[in-house]
Amino acid sequence: MRARLLGEVLPRAGGNDPILEIQDLELSFQAVKAIQGVSLTVHDGEIFAVIGPNGAGKTSVFNCISGLYKPDSGSIRFGGQDLVGLKPHRIANLGVARTFQNIELFPQMTVLDNLMLGRHRHLRYGSAGAMLRVGRAIREEVRNREVVEAIVEFLELEPHRKSYVAMLPYGVQKKVELGRALATEPRILLLDEPAAGMNLEETEDMARFITDIRRELGIGVILVDHDMRLVMDLADTVLALEFGRPIATGSPEAIQNNPDVIRAYLGEGQRSATIPGGTT
Amino acid sequence: MTTTMEPRTRLRTPAALLADRAGETPAKVALREKYHGVWREITWREYWDQVETFAHSLMSFGIEKGDRVAIQSENRAEWLYTDVGCIARGAICVGLYPTNPTAEIEYLLENSGSRVLVVEDQEQADKVLAIPAEKLPALEHIVYIEHRGVDTVDDPRLISWDDFMDAGRRHREAYPDAIDRCMDEAEPDDVIYLIYTSGTTGPPKGAMLTMGNLVFATELIMNEDALIQPPAGPKDLLVSYLPLCHIYEKVFSVLIGIGAGSTVHFGESLDTLITDLREVQPTIMQGVPRIWERIHAASMVRMASASPIKRLNAGIWLAAARYIGATKVKRDGRHSFLSRILAGLGEVFLFRALKDRSGLRRVRSAISGAAPIAPEILEFYMGIGVPLVEAYGMTENTAISTANPPDNVKVGTVGPPYRGTELKIDPDTGEILVRHGAVFVGYWNMPEATAKVLEPDGWMHTGDVGEWVDGTHVKIVDRLKDIIITSGGKNVSPSEIENTLKASPYIKEAIVIGDRRKYLTALIGIDYEVVSEWAQRRGIPHTTYRDLSEKPEVVALVEKAVKETNDKFARVEQIKAFRLITKELDHEDGELTATQKVKRSIIESRFADLIESMYR
Repeated sequence: MRARLLGEVLPRAGGNDPILEIQDLELSFQAVKAIQGVSLTVHDGEIFAVIGPNGAGKTSVFNCISGLYKPDSGSIRFGGQDLVGLKPHRIANLGVARTFQNIELFPQMTVLDNLMLGRHRHLRYGSAGAMLRVGRAIREEVRNREVVEAIVEFLELEPHRKSYVAMLPYGVQKKVELGRALATEPRILLLDEPAAGMNLEETEDMARFITDIRRELGIGVILVDHDMRLVMDLADTVLALEFGRPIATGSPEAIQNNPDVIRAYLGEGQRSATIPGGTT
Repeated sequence: MTTTMEPRTRLRTPAALLADRAGETPAKVALREKYHGVWREITWREYWDQVETFAHSLMSFGIEKGDRVAIQSENRAEWLYTDVGCIARGAICVGLYPTNPTAEIEYLLENSGSRVLVVEDQEQADKVLAIPAEKLPALEHIVYIEHRGVDTVDDPRLISWDDFMDAGRRHREAYPDAIDRCMDEAEPDDVIYLIYTSGTTGPPKGAMLTMGNLVFATELIMNEDALIQPPAGPKDLLVSYLPLCHIYEKVFSVLIGIGAGSTVHFGESLDTLITDLREVQPTIMQGVPRIWERIHAASMVRMASASPIKRLNAGIWLAAARYIGATKVKRDGRHSFLSRILAGLGEVFLFRALKDRSGLRRVRSAISGAAPIAPEILEFYMGIGVPLVEAYGMTENTAISTANPPDNVKVGTVGPPYRGTELKIDPDTGEILVRHGAVFVGYWNMPEATAKVLEPDGWMHTGDVGEWVDGTHVKIVDRLKDIIITSGGKNVSPSEIENTLKASPYIKEAIVIGDRRKYLTALIGIDYEVVSEWAQRRGIPHTTYRDLSEKPEVVALVEKAVKETNDKFARVEQIKAFRLITKELDHEDGELTATQKVKRSIIESRFADLIESMYR
């Protein structure tokens, strides 16, 4: 029997309408300006990368979108709704899913349970129903398990279904985290360093997963990573940050040849150089 | 012979037998496939429906009798639909290994002149699409099973499995009897498989097997006194996991599966094999030495890391298993009074749990083939009550040569020839020759290679040197071309030494060197998983395969295994020096054949410096 495509079990986004629009985002921690005047627009089906040296504010942008930080000013509109001020779980419920730089899974639970937790926002039965195992509870469990199994197949997690996350190699944990984000049926996916700490083969797999997600679900993906080759291969649009300020937005080629970006990466006086191709 | 007076009887090919089963037991389970974590059942009616549809699809796309249809996929139900569908149509099925890289795909498709290629997924599709279309003029259709990443590729040859099968359904509606007629027309001489022998030397050769070969082999395997006793039947469960392009797995998944009506299971992937085995608990288990070694090594590692009480219990009963194994070896596979009692007790205290964990609890017939297995491994399985026996065969004789019947085992031999077959050993060269109805008809488009192997009177050269044991059983000495003649003029069989080395759980690869040299040496590759676990327990930090292989503690560990091996051999057959190879041997790097056999010549040139360092 052939494998299900993601679009056959999860809702697809159509077209290439703007899904996330950020205007003049500002965020500071006391005297430190973490983000200054960042604006960006991500469309359905677009892979949008945010790059920049360490401390440039990439993860801060993610944290603002997912509601972990409240920006000082600026707007974040997702599908026409303003996200600023909403609690993280409300934002997740709207269809914003993310993964973390340092993997945030439940280590003492199995892969399957972690993925099933991703389905939490789609449960429509109560605790009593679950305990009594009424018809609806069972039907929904089956339906949720189907979605999760399609994700297991997609990410090739079959050998690890019943393994405890804590026991798994780092690269596999990264996949589980991506799987949990997918299980929530995202309208947009925020990936914070999905390939960090992975070997070449795992990085190639991750790149394939990201392009397949875009193709099969048609959703927008925002990506932060230090692996320039990965970013330049995958992204349609790249935003380069430096000290919380945007220094350039454009296609991967344009960004690679942008003198300001080169300076930010290599310092003054290296204008002839290009952005390093490998992991930095 | 058929006469014009009576209606001719249909040849009992796997396709014809499958159609019969679908008629007799339509609702019984024929196949199980693990899909989304659940075992899905496919009945005999559904199985035949898919096979017949595939055969109709071939007709609707103009595939004629004798045309070649290739498939590159891991084991799955669609493989069997393709394989048996080709038999029903009369087309020739060509199996490619999923690990075959692009260059080999090009050779195999070009050499066979395949008109259709079935690929499993994007990975396999990418390989064939990387070959310029004009280099494969015969290839008209590429049928892909998995849509992911392929359905958006623009190539006029691509068609999805679903669409391909739909064409077959329409053809069946228009011509409902077409495949029935094809099966009626099948002749024993019709070539039905091209099975490419991976060849440790030279380019692969396509061995042609016929309808008659399959019919003969199926009947022989189902004999009362053959390797499965009593013969396989509808209650038996098999797991299909060895490469289906190899004759060995075809014998079990196709010939026994359909011929005996046993249920064939497809697990999720090779990585989940042990889990799949544990869930299915097959009754018949075919394996290659590497698999049996792996299960053995995994059991040993598990027990070594258990609690002290469990270790003590395991120690006692493993000693008992060794006694039982040794007794059975001495008594040709039969119990003594004491060994039977020990086996009963051992079953309660250890063996049952051990077998359950490895998925071998219900195995009533276990076979090792395709390469020689170490006697120690056989003894271990016999000791814990898994009736593992060695059988011998090759692509060119449909895997039919000899097999140890479970009640007449001689360890170290591959058993007596099957009833109804002929086998002789050339008195001059020691080469084994066989002659019977399942001997192939030659290599595809290679008359010279065929002439070297097939005598005009039907005898087939196996290329293996053998000798008779007790006048009944055959012992394989080695491949004729692999025999080492030392500079002292001694004939040495490297594989015997290599297998003894590989019986150590820490050693995965061993290549004995010494042809025209003063003494024997060996290149050894460690088993990364086992040695890594061993190193972790001793607090030896390590990163890669190379790093681990270079640890002095690991070298010492291997040295101990080499010494133990040397103790079992005569002086001239002892390893005087060894080196650890610092990379894992791989098919894609050309060091192993698709069946994981070491390519000696490649190894000897690639590691020439390492080898020379042992003779300085």
